[in-house]
Amino acid sequence: MTLTVAPYGDSALLATVSGGSVEDRWLAVRRLADAVEADGIPGVLDVVATYDALLVEFDCARTTHDEVAGALRDARGTAAVPTPTTYRIPVVYGGEHGPDLPDVAAQLGLTERDVVRLHTETPWVVRFRGAPAGAPMMDGSRFPAPISRCPRPRTHVPAGSVAVSGRQAVIYPVRSPGGWRLIGRTPLRLLDLGYRPGDVFRFESHG
Amino acid sequence: MADVLAVHQAGMVAVTDLGRQGHSRDGIPPNGAADQFSAAVANILVGNRENSPLIEVTASAFAFTTTRAALISVTGAPATLTCGGRPHRMWEPVCVPAGARVAVHNVHNGLRTYVAVHGEFQVPFVLGSCAPDSLLEVGTWLRAGAELAVDTDYVPVDHPVFRHPVFRLAAPTPRFGSPWTIDVTDGPAGADFVDLDRTLLSEPYRITPTSNHIGLRLSGPAPTRLDTRELLSRGVPVGAVEVTPSRELLVLLRGRPVTAGYPVVAVATRVAQSALGQAAPGHVLRFRRQALPDAVAAYRARRRAMDALTARVRTAFGCVGIPCH
Repeated sequence: MTLTVAPYGDSALLATVSGGSVEDRWLAVRRLADAVEADGIPGVLDVVATYDALLVEFDCARTTHDEVAGALRDARGTAAVPTPTTYRIPVVYGGEHGPDLPDVAAQLGLTERDVVRLHTETPWVVRFRGAPAGAPMMDGSRFPAPISRCPRPRTHVPAGSVAVSGRQAVIYPVRSPGGWRLIGRTPLRLLDLGYRPGDVFRFESHG
Repeated sequence: MADVLAVHQAGMVAVTDLGRQGHSRDGIPPNGAADQFSAAVANILVGNRENSPLIEVTASAFAFTTTRAALISVTGAPATLTCGGRPHRMWEPVCVPAGARVAVHNVHNGLRTYVAVHGEFQVPFVLGSCAPDSLLEVGTWLRAGAELAVDTDYVPVDHPVFRHPVFRLAAPTPRFGSPWTIDVTDGPAGADFVDLDRTLLSEPYRITPTSNHIGLRLSGPAPTRLDTRELLSRGVPVGAVEVTPSRELLVLLRGRPVTAGYPVVAVATRVAQSALGQAAPGHVLRFRRQALPDAVAAYRARRRAMDALTARVRTAFGCVGIPCH
């Protein structure tokens, strides 16, 4: 695997990992993010770790692109990856809580019951905490095909909505706009769960 | 000592600070003052820490009184500032007698005016900041009739001849008003677009009414992307200029989602981001390419100007016995 570090505006760098498998790249990014946080590089303010890239934001009055890039290349992510925690998420599928379930079933050529079965059988892996509000961005889909996004994003998706798109799954932690397909809803308050990248979500169907 | 700020009139007015830094990895954007420079200078001018809570008045009016004498400053978009009916200068400290009505109205040539008060507003903090976040549903919005406690050690200055000192601290003030010149450095997807020089970097772009604290939506000629592959979601900095699949230009502000899957053609500089926080719907942006070292140099020059102002404030306040923090 190769690490490429490039400026991203006057106050950030983007470190991208290429080569290896999807899993390898994601692990490398996560180790790098942990190392950056552990090293406490002077002037670094924030990091955003995703599938294959790490955004590192810094105060350009306190440090330079070269210094931070050097620290990234030297960072040694040796910390052990913690054992994943499994979260069980109760979901009411379909109906008013999952208005797109019929559409998802039609896209996949499956019954709604099959969609629910595949969704609950999948150990969904949290890859990173994204938008909005730290939403768990999950992959590991066992659906036979990727799922398209809504042609017109909703302006208000209710908090707790369980959604799918492409080969990914997400839960909306807060009421927000969104373009993913809503198949169910959980009463759990996501903000209280404290999940981390690598953790696993198992969904359970409740009538 | 506790002072109470009583709100008599408030349009769109919130307590904020420089934002929720350090939580991007958990998917939480910084938010905070849209015009970071004006907000920091307002706090410097009253002897506060730059990141202290202060009041952001968005394109509306704000009027208040304080139960005790207070030291305030007003910065940001040009507005009419009166204290006890008399006009006062923005970008300078103002000594406000107890019970005198302070009014900020007629905000123009920009969107946001900042009011700092010597001391610390007693407001709730979430993840280290009092900044409103519409998704986390946190923040302190002020309405007429609201009261805000201020913890302050300000002692009113009383001079035998001049009741109140008049300060002339010469704070650096940016240019306000449309068209705004927005310096940008190259974005990671810039090379995928053939005509950036003929579009983004030469044409005017108008801000549409659907803009907000998350991003500015622009109308104007969209650059053409050669590459049609979908991009993997990656972290994206504040100031990023994105081109959406429907060929709309979007400039991300401090409430932006921390990741995006749209190509980023340019990134507004740290200095330009304060101007973006002032640009209103209907205003025009003109983007200008800046080399990375020049953008860094401009930000450092601004930082030095703020440090020099802090030194002048400390000297002046030290002479009249106003504590600085």
